[in-house]
Amino acid sequence: MLMEVKKELKFILLSIKYNLAREMTNKVTFLTNIIFMILNNAAFLIEWIIFFSIKDNIGGYGLKDVVLLWGLASGTYAICFLFFGAVQELPNLIMNGKIDSFLVQPKNVLISILTSKTKVSAIGDLIYSYILLFIYGFSIKNFLFFTLFIVTGGIIVTSIATIFGSLAFYITKADTLTGNVMGTMLNFDTYPEGIFKGAIRILFYTIIPISFAVYMPLNILKEFEIIKFIAVIIFTLFITLIAFLSFYKGLKKYSSGNLMSARV
Amino acid sequence: MNNVIEVKKLSKSFKVKVKEKGFIGSLKSIVKPKYKTIKAVNNISFNVEKGEIIAFIGPNGAGKSTTIKMLTGILYNDAGSISVMGIDPTKKRKKLAYEIGTVFGQKEQLWTHLTPYDNFKFFGAIYDIPEYVVEKKIKEFIEIFELSEFINTPVRNLSLGQRIRCEIVASLIHEPKILFLDEPTIGLDPVVKENIRTLIKRMNKEYKTTIFLTSHDVGDIEKLCKRVIIINKGEVVLDDSMENLKYHYLNKKIIEVKMKEKVNLDDSKGITILKDKGYNLKLEVDTKKTSISEALKKLDSDKIIDINISNVPLESIITNIYKGEK
Repeated sequence: MLMEVKKELKFILLSIKYNLAREMTNKVTFLTNIIFMILNNAAFLIEWIIFFSIKDNIGGYGLKDVVLLWGLASGTYAICFLFFGAVQELPNLIMNGKIDSFLVQPKNVLISILTSKTKVSAIGDLIYSYILLFIYGFSIKNFLFFTLFIVTGGIIVTSIATIFGSLAFYITKADTLTGNVMGTMLNFDTYPEGIFKGAIRILFYTIIPISFAVYMPLNILKEFEIIKFIAVIIFTLFITLIAFLSFYKGLKKYSSGNLMSARV
Repeated sequence: MNNVIEVKKLSKSFKVKVKEKGFIGSLKSIVKPKYKTIKAVNNISFNVEKGEIIAFIGPNGAGKSTTIKMLTGILYNDAGSISVMGIDPTKKRKKLAYEIGTVFGQKEQLWTHLTPYDNFKFFGAIYDIPEYVVEKKIKEFIEIFELSEFINTPVRNLSLGQRIRCEIVASLIHEPKILFLDEPTIGLDPVVKENIRTLIKRMNKEYKTTIFLTSHDVGDIEKLCKRVIIINKGEVVLDDSMENLKYHYLNKKIIEVKMKEKVNLDDSKGITILKDKGYNLKLEVDTKKTSISEALKKLDSDKIIDINISNVPLESIITNIYKGEK
């Protein structure tokens, strides 16, 4: 079992290496993608600096908290798209019967599919997230927790997208649904938690669990609470399990296809 | 008997949504969707022995690809049983992957931005082969399959023939016992087709790989396979050796003659006039009903300028089997 996990991890890293090698074939696009993602993210932070120049407290967050929130959110998406960049394409691959080549490989099908693509802009997100951690306040403890939480966050976002993406085994247009869910998560988790009330808060712990991906980690970084820490870890494991179960249950319905295709 | 593939009473159906025409039809399909069941594979059974090169052929939509996909663990079967190298593909897909190789002519498995060399190394890692072994294998492949010219050229810049060659070589990196080739020569010119056939033959000879081939190209079947399974409408309609197929179905001969004078000949027992242009005649002789010499007696041998007696092309034989004619 442990050997199997080790082999899969080695395979994930190898896939990323080859994905990056592929992306680096065009040096200019590779570098501009990274730089523009950092600039793009920075532009949003400037907006928040302006907001906080008018008001000291927004939804219970100060500027420093928003800096950390953006750091966690950027890092979360960086991990998702750096390691599991094909998650957004999962429903399309299923609908168009394009997962055949992954099914004949002796590796975990879901991991092979998800790791078959890397978004270069995710490197920009990752660099930006650590810059924000430095701005928030660097310490070994913060660095370790921050790294752990962007990994758990990345896994949570990937798992949610996989669960919705796996609906493509049963329904058409699951790609739109997955896109909407990912977009919603991305939109909400860059705003202070306190500005959301009532039913929306329930959504954050269920269908779009950004509380476990970003808000709880932020609170733990500010003030460590063992209960919250355990909740994040357990939820990450739980949602990962659900993602695998959803995919493999759906896989039995997979109908393949005869479309001409290329792996680019 | 040393079967590497055993298929018993295998069936697979697909549920397909039926939509009426136009916008109203689309609305109806949302409110009350209708489905129909298509039986892609219906109760088929066959075995394949170790080291065989077998042609698994049939018209479009016959169930060939569906069968291959079930044998390789891509699709789940509805009924029946499959054993490939003693493994059930639905239960031990990963274990099976180490034993088989696949090449789908219409689907690329190689990364187009990487060179064949990098691709082979990646495939080696997928199969957990130590790096030094992969390096050794690549060297061996470069020599045997003559890849040195383009081993370091990105796949996207290769010709279709070179790409298919690399696809096949990549599928051999883990030394599979069985290789499934789904239309490997599709879209290739005759010279490249011949190269690919030589490669397949060499693979079978050098590595004793069992080859399970589907193709619409009669040349592939004729030049490579000793046994043929024909599938139509999801059912096996013929499972025989190529020799028997030819023996049983080649009882018809084609006689083409060029005469000095016009001949008036009508259809008679065992003889069918296919073409009559006065001086040039094309006859089909059913040797089960009449002999070639009897047919020739109907022509004045002194007036024959040229004559050609040939077998009915394998393509026509297969087409007739597809149509259910014997």
